Amino acid sequence: MSNIGRRDALPIPPTNAEVKNTVCQYCTVGCGYKVYTWPVGSQGGLAANQNAFGVDLRNPQNPLGGLVYTETMHSIVTRKDGRQYHVVIVPANDSPINFKRDHSSRGATNAVATWSDARATKERLKYPLLRMGDQFQVITWDEALAILAGVAKGIRDKDGNDDNIVVKAFDHGGSGAGFENNWGVGSLFFKGFSVKHIGIHNRPAYNSEVWGSRERGVHELNYDAIDARLADTIVLWGANPYETASVFYTEHMQPNIQGATLEEKQRNLSRGEPVEAGYMIVVDPRRTSSLTIAENIAKDRTLHLRPNLGTDYILANAIARVMWERKYYDQRFLETRTDMAKFEEYKEKSLKVGTPYAQFMAEVERITGVRRADIEKAADWIAKPKAGGFARRTLTIYEKGIIWNMKNYDQVAAIVQMAVLGNNVGRAGTGCGRLGGHQEGYVRPPSPTPGSIYNGGPPVNVDKYLTDGKGKLYWVIGTNPYLSTPNNQLFRKRIRERTKALSDFLGQSGEPGTTQEWVAKILEGLDATNGLFMVVQDLYLIHTAQDAHLVLPASAWGEANQTSINCNSRLLRLYEKFMDPPGQAKQDWEICKLMGLKMAELYRAEGKEEEAKRFEFGKNWRTDEDVFLDGGNSYPNNAIPASEEATLPAECYKGVTYAFLRQVGQQGIRTPVRVENGKPVGTLRRYSVKFGTKDGKFSWYGTDDWEGYPEEVAKYLEGEKAQKYPFWMTTGRAQAIWQTMYNDRFLPEKMNTLPMPYIEIHPQDAQRLGLRGGDLAQVWNEEGNGTFLVYVTDSVRPGMIFALQYHHLGTSNSMTPGYTDPKTTIPWYKGTRVAIRKVRGALPDLQNSTSFLQQNKFD
Amino acid sequence: MVVSRRRVVQVLGGVTMASLTGAGKAQFWFAPSLTYPAIKVGNVNNLKNNEPVYFNYPDARSQGILVKLGRPAIGGVGRERDIVAFSAACTHMGCGVQYKGGRFLCPCHYSMFDPAKAAAVYQGLASTGLPQIQLGIAQNGDIFARAVNGLIWGRARNI
Ligand code: SF4
Ligand code: FES
Repeated sequence: MSNIGRRDALPIPPTNAEVKNTVCQYCTVGCGYKVYTWPVGSQGGLAANQNAFGVDLRNPQNPLGGLVYTETMHSIVTRKDGRQYHVVIVPANDSPINFKRDHSSRGATNAVATWSDARATKERLKYPLLRMGDQFQVITWDEALAILAGVAKGIRDKDGNDDNIVVKAFDHGGSGAGFENNWGVGSLFFKGFSVKHIGIHNRPAYNSEVWGSRERGVHELNYDAIDARLADTIVLWGANPYETASVFYTEHMQPNIQGATLEEKQRNLSRGEPVEAGYMIVVDPRRTSSLTIAENIAKDRTLHLRPNLGTDYILANAIARVMWERKYYDQRFLETRTDMAKFEEYKEKSLKVGTPYAQFMAEVERITGVRRADIEKAADWIAKPKAGGFARRTLTIYEKGIIWNMKNYDQVAAIVQMAVLGNNVGRAGTGCGRLGGHQEGYVRPPSPTPGSIYNGGPPVNVDKYLTDGKGKLYWVIGTNPYLSTPNNQLFRKRIRERTKALSDFLGQSGEPGTTQEWVAKILEGLDATNGLFMVVQDLYLIHTAQDAHLVLPASAWGEANQTSINCNSRLLRLYEKFMDPPGQAKQDWEICKLMGLKMAELYRAEGKEEEAKRFEFGKNWRTDEDVFLDGGNSYPNNAIPASEEATLPAECYKGVTYAFLRQVGQQGIRTPVRVENGKPVGTLRRYSVKFGTKDGKFSWYGTDDWEGYPEEVAKYLEGEKAQKYPFWMTTGRAQAIWQTMYNDRFLPEKMNTLPMPYIEIHPQDAQRLGLRGGDLAQVWNEEGNGTFLVYVTDSVRPGMIFALQYHHLGTSNSMTPGYTDPKTTIPWYKGTRVAIRKVRGALPDLQNSTSFLQQNKFD
Repeated sequence: MVVSRRRVVQVLGGVTMASLTGAGKAQFWFAPSLTYPAIKVGNVNNLKNNEPVYFNYPDARSQGILVKLGRPAIGGVGRERDIVAFSAACTHMGCGVQYKGGRFLCPCHYSMFDPAKAAAVYQGLASTGLPQIQLGIAQNGDIFARAVNGLIWGRARNI
């Protein structure tokens, strides 16, 4: 009946099935999962003592708490022993994150996303591939690394530095990464090589996305999930957790709005403190599902602020100004915990206390489009003391709507300063930080750029470096820049031109037959053509890999032991290995280690012992844990009292071993970890005593004035172009899919739900353009084009569309300008102007199988 | 809208079909793979558009919802191919879904399913559509449930 194969019976793990602990590979929330594996050929029984779940399956499970075992939670994989094994991956029942075995539609597909030669995931890369003219040929690791090391060394020998070695690599946890692989990648490029032209997976440079907060002394991961249950008010600023951090919303925020956490509030907060069901403020250009669900629960405790694109920092400053006027701050806190000299600058530039209140607010209304009354209401909900003089507790969570806004630095700084002015960091039920996208697992030697323009930056825009014709070796690891970089259409064209120039050169008089000749001809070709030698290290032959010269197969989540933290509690856990990687795919850390050893071999052959040694960083890494421990040792001394936690890097795990993590299982340990009496101790919540600055005081900053839009977007707001490109476009993610769909595009459940990239358009605009749900629209501007499916919805307002940022069939980034914040080199992915037209005809099969009902309507 | 059945199901009389796909070392059984009873769940003459009827299927502990949508649906029966039935247990964590405003809505974590599209999840945390209950209509208008296409939440096997 449906076009997806459904199941009505699933294999039951027998009592002797192997049981492993793991954590979902996908989003920031990091829900706990249990993995059951056993050889094909046997099954458990329905009685509780006959199956590894220990659950009586003769009776239906109880809703909201019973065993969750859905159709996508089973698969069959082949191990290196040649035998087939059942794999069952179900939400854990003992996790402090996903209570009651909660999970999302993304995590529910962990099992079917595993590699198998019998399913669509057979597309996983098994062996290194070398381009021979127009096709790839399989080669061995030995050959692949000999060529790669030969080319890298040839470039260094000629240049005397690593300027032409350009890297784009993941820096996150979860999905195949984690502390182990981060340390491997970091060691290769910052210890072996000294690469400075390196970009992070989703952006053009190597930078923090939140220097505006870190340079104030507040790392972005400072709250705990419990704070969302204890808060009086939750502010979601440019963050849509129902869709992108689903279980954090359903298990920690939603119950608070529903008033289901009152008892927990009473238990955890001050004696006599009034508690009530939570309030929610959503600041977003869209009526997101996170907003409309809250409205559905309690309209009178929900507030939506809808600032004009790019004006959020002005709005945050205005809310803070109201707090200042109404004295919603604690003078003692300001004096003891914050830098009062810098506070003057903040007052003058951000709060503009020199401008009369009414005049200031009128100006803010004009710039942001948000009504003064709503701004004042927001300030009340955020910081107005409660009855009895108790300080209000507000948890402020922001994400890409702020980070990938124009003026990244000032946006982030304005929000964290608003929070700190109201003493809303470091107390139960408070905090100000990122929602997070993916999990984290950052441990690396020092990176090339220490901070923003105010701290030794900004970092180099590596995309631009490449499209300007610079760089020779481009090594892409665990990311797909053909979908993920801004100004994507231009980027793709330029990289294709440059890689093809080299490919053509290599084909002149025939591709070489020996490794030495390959290396020599590549080096010669790079100089002769200004081409680019591209290496892609990934799970699949991703879009970017189509133009690569060398493809290296990486192993994935579940195919090795790994460790990561989630974002909402910094909860470090062990993700246990439960299957083997396909073919000869390897963990990134091992690839980096082998590359290092190959480089060392080449240098040693020339008698360059010093250089050789630099590249032997991984010679003692035999197991995943060796790498984990090696990385952990790079953290500073953490045998310090709790009051000093602010001095530690947020992810510090020094002193933690795999044995310890096995013992604590799903309970994990919260970083930064300190060591007390030789034992690792976690940190529930940060900055209760000091902030993360040299003197421990919060460091204020005066934000810029409103200066209008950057040239790249302003050009669309005047004259002819204003008519030609009449729509604002903002962009973002969708509930069902993960990142660039590198796994999801092989899952029929996902492709049926979201068969193509889509836009949301307001009914009025849709009517004018003759568009209906399920039609196709062409969206374009001077930067690029895209074809999108249409959803008609009041989520967006007239004159603005929302476009899905990543889909394997296209990206809104094609239309995104090349603008980056001059202070941080962070792009503005979420705002530009576009034209829209209906594409003639339709795709009826797709209209028949896919739903176009409104996704934010819950009443 | 043209909707083709994946498999021709034998009509009426309560005969059910089990189909087994995949052979060799590893087997995947696609639904319906079990032997289901045929149970009368309503009559076309009593159905009104958008007024759901609840019934139990395939046993007393599993609730189903029968609804006439007034627009053609995947797997729909009746003259307008608009009569469909689904398990009422949300495929996320088992709460009972409600038929409201032309779609199924789960009150627990707000998953939503499109009844015209085989109850595909179009929003929310559920990972699969609601299991669709295959229907047949007798000459007198009686509607029979005959099999379940998808796993009913809370079970390792439907029967
Ligand atoms: S909410 Fe995030 S971590 Fe939890 S199951 Fe879904 S994708 Fe995985
Ligand atoms: S039980 Fe239905 S959405 Fe969770």
